[in-house]
Amino acid sequence: MTGFISPRLPLYASIAAAGLVAGLALGRVEPVALAAPFVLALVAAVAGREPRVAVRLSLDRERAVEGDEITATIELSSEHTVDRFELLVPLPPGLTVEKGRAQALRLRGGEERTLELTLRCERWGAFAVGPLLVRARDALGLRSWEGEACVAQMLRVYPSEETLRSLVAPLETQVFAGNQVSRARAEGIEFADLREWQPGDRVRRVNWRATALRGSLWVNEQYPERNTDVVLFLDTFAEVRAQGRSTNDRAVRAAATLARGYLQRKDRVGLVGFGGFISWLLPETGMRQLYAIVDTLLTSDIVHSYALRDVDVLPPRTLPPKALVLAITPLLDDRTGKALLDLRARGYDLIVVEVSPLELLEPDPAAAARLSHRLWRLSREALRWRYEQVGVPVVTWRDGVPLAASLEEVNAFRHLARPA
Amino acid sequence: MAAAGALAAYGGVVADTLARAGSAASILAPVAGLGVVALVLALAWDGRGLAAALWLGGGAYLAFVVDRGHRIDATAPLVAVLLLLSGELTAWSLDERWRMRAEPALAWRRGLAVAALALVGLTAATVVLALSAAPADHGLAWTVAGAAAAVAAAGTGIWVARR
Repeated sequence: MTGFISPRLPLYASIAAAGLVAGLALGRVEPVALAAPFVLALVAAVAGREPRVAVRLSLDRERAVEGDEITATIELSSEHTVDRFELLVPLPPGLTVEKGRAQALRLRGGEERTLELTLRCERWGAFAVGPLLVRARDALGLRSWEGEACVAQMLRVYPSEETLRSLVAPLETQVFAGNQVSRARAEGIEFADLREWQPGDRVRRVNWRATALRGSLWVNEQYPERNTDVVLFLDTFAEVRAQGRSTNDRAVRAAATLARGYLQRKDRVGLVGFGGFISWLLPETGMRQLYAIVDTLLTSDIVHSYALRDVDVLPPRTLPPKALVLAITPLLDDRTGKALLDLRARGYDLIVVEVSPLELLEPDPAAAARLSHRLWRLSREALRWRYEQVGVPVVTWRDGVPLAASLEEVNAFRHLARPA
Repeated sequence: MAAAGALAAYGGVVADTLARAGSAASILAPVAGLGVVALVLALAWDGRGLAAALWLGGGAYLAFVVDRGHRIDATAPLVAVLLLLSGELTAWSLDERWRMRAEPALAWRRGLAVAALALVGLTAATVVLALSAAPADHGLAWTVAGAAAAVAAAGTGIWVARR
């Protein structure tokens, strides 16, 4: 710890010195008497010694969900008595503490003290709690020792998830077994249609009732259950942030929700963070992939960049053929708009979930500002129209509206859709 | 409360000085007044005027003592302790403004520490004043005691400097 002295200490020293010198110069005792208490204060300050305090910080868990409360335990012990020990818990913006973030207490020699703080996780993210800022002071506050104590503890706060009743079904499925009923006909459970028997058809597929009615062999056709590849395409070029809310926060929440939903259906889910900093995860299935996706989402902050980017910068396996690409974007950056149109041109089954920034923007009452705001909204409408012209459904997810409602819009749009 | 205590202690020094200054009071009053203003500023902001306040208060008192002539002023220990108290209470008042959850016992302990320092300071200053009244040729015992005190003072100075 680094030692500091109070500004009073040099003041008292100078007063004491001046009193003693004045006593000699004037040949009087009063200046010396005036200096005596200040000399004593100096001696009292110098008599203090640097404390040796052991500080240990621990969290009751390493992972939490937005809105959860975490208990942070601080254990303190000191060899010698510390008259006043102050500690401050520096917290990142996503964590808050109701009270007790800064505390002052007395530590007796050999005594162990335990403090508990309740941290509230206000926002998702990967946070470091600590190191603590500590300060020990003598009884009069004339000398102090400051420093950092204990090792920072990592805390991962996962985004809270929306409740989904159904997911968007992709137009095409993959070859492996899964929970999605394929549009293609093959061996499966769901009845699809009847057709005339052909050489090679199994006897068990013969529909005897239809055969008896028509006088020739007819067989059942089924829809097979297959898995799908889903790529969550997260636009991290820009965001709108106001009143503690942001489009990126909601986009991450939507991505986490969709990842869990599709992975529960045994689909393979991948992630592309497309912005100033590009990140990706190849499509995989299982719980491990869910944690990988959510951990990646925790670091998906907005990084401003002027670099031109398109989908060519992504590794080819990131976007497997016939994958459903769910783009979650506030539609604020032209580069994302172009990249999504490029994906559509390459034949990907693309859905755009527009995280609406309009609720976070209050148009300036000035006439020119209102006009520019209107023009900006019109340009967004034009972009949406361009997507719809190439067969890409665009749904707007407004603040306060469940994500499920927006996904139902997509399902309605795609009810009769066929692969392009 | 600490701020009020600091102002009261400083007011005691100023009142004591001006009340007994006689004709010199008109000269010392502006100096003491400046000291009061400096202390108020120190209490209102971050304590930067404290040094000026203590220097002005102590200076006004010394000017009064010099003006008074060769008679020893018996209130010097009290003035010294009041000046020290105004400094300590100002600092305490400023420390209390930090937004911090503190144990109630800390305030009591600091109060005790300030009171103890004031009492010991008062005793030391009184002893200094009393010892100065002893005649210089009072015998070997006094000479030895004086030498021991000088050695102790030098030793304390060295110890302070080494720490």
